[in-house]
Amino acid sequence: MGLREYIIRRLLLLIPTMLGVVVLIFAVLQMIPPELRAVIYVTNPRQLQDIPNIVREYGLDRPVWEQFITYLTEVLHGNFGYSVYYRQPVLEGLLRRFPATVEIALLSSPFIIFFGIWLGTTAAVHRDKIPDHVSRVMSIVGTSLPSFLLGIVLIAIFVAQLRLTTVGRVTNIGTLLLRIKNGTYHEFTGFLLIDSLLNGDFLLFVDVVKHLILPMIVLVFIQSATMVRVTRSSMLEALGKTYIVAARAKGLSKKEVIYKHARRNALIPVITISGLLVGGMLGGLIITETVFNFPGVGSYAAQAAQSFDVSVVTAYAMFSAIIFVLANLIVDILYAYIDPRIRLG
Amino acid sequence: MASENILEIENLYLNFYTYDGIVKALDGVNLSLKNGEVLGLVGETGCGKSVTSLSTLAMVITPGIIESGKIEFSMGKRKVDILNLRERDLLKIRGRNISMIFQEPRAALNPIYTVENQVTEVFLHHRKEELIKASLAELEDAAKKATGLKRSIYKFYISLYKGMLNNPKSLRLRFISKIPILKRFQNRMKKVARKDIVELLKVLRISDPERVVDMYPHELSGGMAQRVVIAMALACNPLLLIADEPTTNLDVTVQAQILQLIRELMKKFKSSILYVTHDLGVVAQVCDRVAVMYAGNVVEMGDVMTFFKKPLHPYAQSLLESIPRPNEEFVSIPGTVPSLVNPPTGCRFHDRCRYTLEICPRVKPKFVEVEKDHYVACHLYR
Amino acid sequence: MSSKEEVKKSAKTPNLMVKELKFTLKKMRDTPLSLIGLSLVIFFLLICALAPVLAPPKWYDPFRIPSTGTYGREPEPPSAEHLFGTTSYQTDIFYGCIWGTIHAFRLGLVIVITSVVVGLALGLIAGYYGGIVDEILMRFTDIIFAFPSLILIMALVVALQTVTLPFTLTGYTRLDACIIGIVLVGWPGYTRLIRGEVLRVKTEDYVEAAKASGASDLRIIFKHILPNTIYPVIIVASLDFGTIVLLAAALSFLGLGAPGDYADWGQLIYHSMDWVSSGLRYWWTYTFPGLFIMLFCLGWNLLGDAFRDILDPLYRRK
Repeated sequence: MGLREYIIRRLLLLIPTMLGVVVLIFAVLQMIPPELRAVIYVTNPRQLQDIPNIVREYGLDRPVWEQFITYLTEVLHGNFGYSVYYRQPVLEGLLRRFPATVEIALLSSPFIIFFGIWLGTTAAVHRDKIPDHVSRVMSIVGTSLPSFLLGIVLIAIFVAQLRLTTVGRVTNIGTLLLRIKNGTYHEFTGFLLIDSLLNGDFLLFVDVVKHLILPMIVLVFIQSATMVRVTRSSMLEALGKTYIVAARAKGLSKKEVIYKHARRNALIPVITISGLLVGGMLGGLIITETVFNFPGVGSYAAQAAQSFDVSVVTAYAMFSAIIFVLANLIVDILYAYIDPRIRLG
Repeated sequence: MASENILEIENLYLNFYTYDGIVKALDGVNLSLKNGEVLGLVGETGCGKSVTSLSTLAMVITPGIIESGKIEFSMGKRKVDILNLRERDLLKIRGRNISMIFQEPRAALNPIYTVENQVTEVFLHHRKEELIKASLAELEDAAKKATGLKRSIYKFYISLYKGMLNNPKSLRLRFISKIPILKRFQNRMKKVARKDIVELLKVLRISDPERVVDMYPHELSGGMAQRVVIAMALACNPLLLIADEPTTNLDVTVQAQILQLIRELMKKFKSSILYVTHDLGVVAQVCDRVAVMYAGNVVEMGDVMTFFKKPLHPYAQSLLESIPRPNEEFVSIPGTVPSLVNPPTGCRFHDRCRYTLEICPRVKPKFVEVEKDHYVACHLYR
Repeated sequence: MSSKEEVKKSAKTPNLMVKELKFTLKKMRDTPLSLIGLSLVIFFLLICALAPVLAPPKWYDPFRIPSTGTYGREPEPPSAEHLFGTTSYQTDIFYGCIWGTIHAFRLGLVIVITSVVVGLALGLIAGYYGGIVDEILMRFTDIIFAFPSLILIMALVVALQTVTLPFTLTGYTRLDACIIGIVLVGWPGYTRLIRGEVLRVKTEDYVEAAKASGASDLRIIFKHILPNTIYPVIIVASLDFGTIVLLAAALSFLGLGAPGDYADWGQLIYHSMDWVSSGLRYWWTYTFPGLFIMLFCLGWNLLGDAFRDILDPLYRRK
């Protein structure tokens, strides 16, 4: 089939999937009575006083398929409605909070992936010995321990008791906002890690890093459990294959066989999982952000959810799904590139 | 006449320690393979023939442990005790003096590497010096004809290759081998190897070897894949080739081709072959001598002609009788293959044998030479 | 023994199933981790049974934790009166943990059973009949899988708040919404699983044989396909038990689940968030509920893993 055709096909498949995502959110919204639903089309606060007008204008009492066309059009124009809780358009709020989530997600990912692969490979190679038992314990604990519990315990110890850091993204968000207002701090990208360096504020950089450590510990602990498990089983499967026996029969040393033959093959599915992991994290770490009071996209939606802010929650679900679908796409293409069986058809 | 034997296995005991218990897979296997001959190792699935062949390379995987026994391999004038060799020395023997070909050819090839990559691997591992010397010759030739920058590059490469000959572990070499652009100096070796590989594939009757060399395993047909695997095994002119049911998973026509190929190659390369199979027909076609295995023991071993005319062991007799013939009733051996966790006492075949004596369940029969070069393990022959 | 008798013997007779059960139990005894899992689950079951004795309910709804003080009073440390101490609103943590166990089991059972039943039904149909029904179902499950579960459940819970449901399980709309949300996000997983198994089993010889002997579709599905596809479902369901309770606790923690004084472990931790800023001073507010959640999940995870290890070789033996 060839790689190019595969990519084209995969890209084409993107359209129905995205459409499906929109349809599902639309269906969820349809459960809500029209008056309460109208807020998803609101663009400025004044309109909130005039709901029946919105209902008529956007046809919230018309037949379903007409409503869907309206919804789809609005979404494609970037109108995700207005957040009653935050008093701002939803899209604006999401985009504003996204960089914080990205910082945690992208910073944790390499640790999760490399640690997971390392432990998983070691566990598979030394099966039923100490590394394997460690990996098994890790997997089990990682899946049984709720992330919010770990977060709370870490906060209690390191924030409240030892006072090594605080919750949130920086120690003093107030002063930072003030500096942005009076122009002493310029926001280039929205990513504090980058901006602080660009502004020459090394102290701020260190502060941001300090605040990222605890959430990262929680994430790495919980997520690498999956990585370890997948790598381990993938390695075990690869090690059991005939070509491993054949490679040893060729006179290659154990190390060569493990790293050149087994691991390369085992890593192919692992890459898929890594991609999905990162995609899932980028879509929002609701619990971690809530526990650590981190102003990311996840906590944005969680707080809004408590106040039943429909527009935020549904828009956020769509947002997450789209990121996840895109991550899937990238991973699929990567997989096709790496595995010659798919690349050459 | 012991020195005529290239391989001798004496009283090999092997157990697998599993969750379900201890599987007594090999119960004192005795085997001898003469220089330059093809020995067929026959038996049903599970009788231990694959395990025996893996033991010859000391490649039995956990939870298998060799309890006792001796495997002696003759390399020219030297005799090597396989089971007591250091890993380092074993690595030198595997792939070079003893090689193996497998049942599922496409499974024996790593799906993510090309044919060239995998066959080159064998060359690089065992015949590196030759490759280096050949590369040096080519480079010096090219250096003479080149000028200026190209010449300097060739001179640089020459120094690297000379370094590989004299001081392969030098820091300089190890460092350069890791740097992306510089490590291209190894390409010369790969080109030389590629030429050798193409020649080798031609010998194996692979048509259009230039194209095949760049293919991936999943693009090859069963027959072609098996030829590639054979190529890898024969690349270093091994003294002993272990063939573990190499034609079982192939079409009958391809099977015939491969068998013929093996016969020719054997004559050409002068290797000895341990041919593991469950197919007596193949044994008749290819083998000079045959050894029959049952439940972890070799029960009969001898010359192929003699064996087919007059099998001595009851199991061997039943095997030959059970070959389906037209217009005859289907005969099978009563009972089933025993569990090796709790094998029968004494002779492991006694509960299915039609000549069972009183002594059979009590004492395990010894493997003795009953007539010239014809060995049996059965109480009937004392 | 003639071949006919041998074939009959290999068919699943009741005696054979008892034998397999005994084999399974013996295997469990040999793996220490599975024993730990089993004991944990049994321990929690015991708590359920003894709940009315250990923590007598005071309200009409036993899941409302009795409180003895006014809102805002500091949590009290463990004492004779409050074995695990109290948290905000002076709610007794011990009571919350005990009845939280029953609540957890209730949630788990309802959600797992519903998801499995729906998943089984749809998966069997999709796998067996194939065609356009299968295609549609697969696209539908694909879309649900595109959403991270917690996020979709959140959206569903918020949306369902505005709907009046004809029935109620717990008496609280938000909690009911959680249950429905988790089920709606959970059934596609089972559907996919069953469908895969059905596709695998569909081509086996005994199904062909049954078809050839004129058995009706329903009979084939229930007598032949279902018993041979059920093992992975058991494994996933037991693993899911822990995951679901964790999910429900997370929802409560986010304030979307059980109401304020409900006996729900996640809810108790939600309250403990108020006191985390004092460090380890009010450790009992999160330690005890946290332990309960962890051990509950651990028990079911170990049990599910044990099932997987045991049923897998049995499964492959066929």
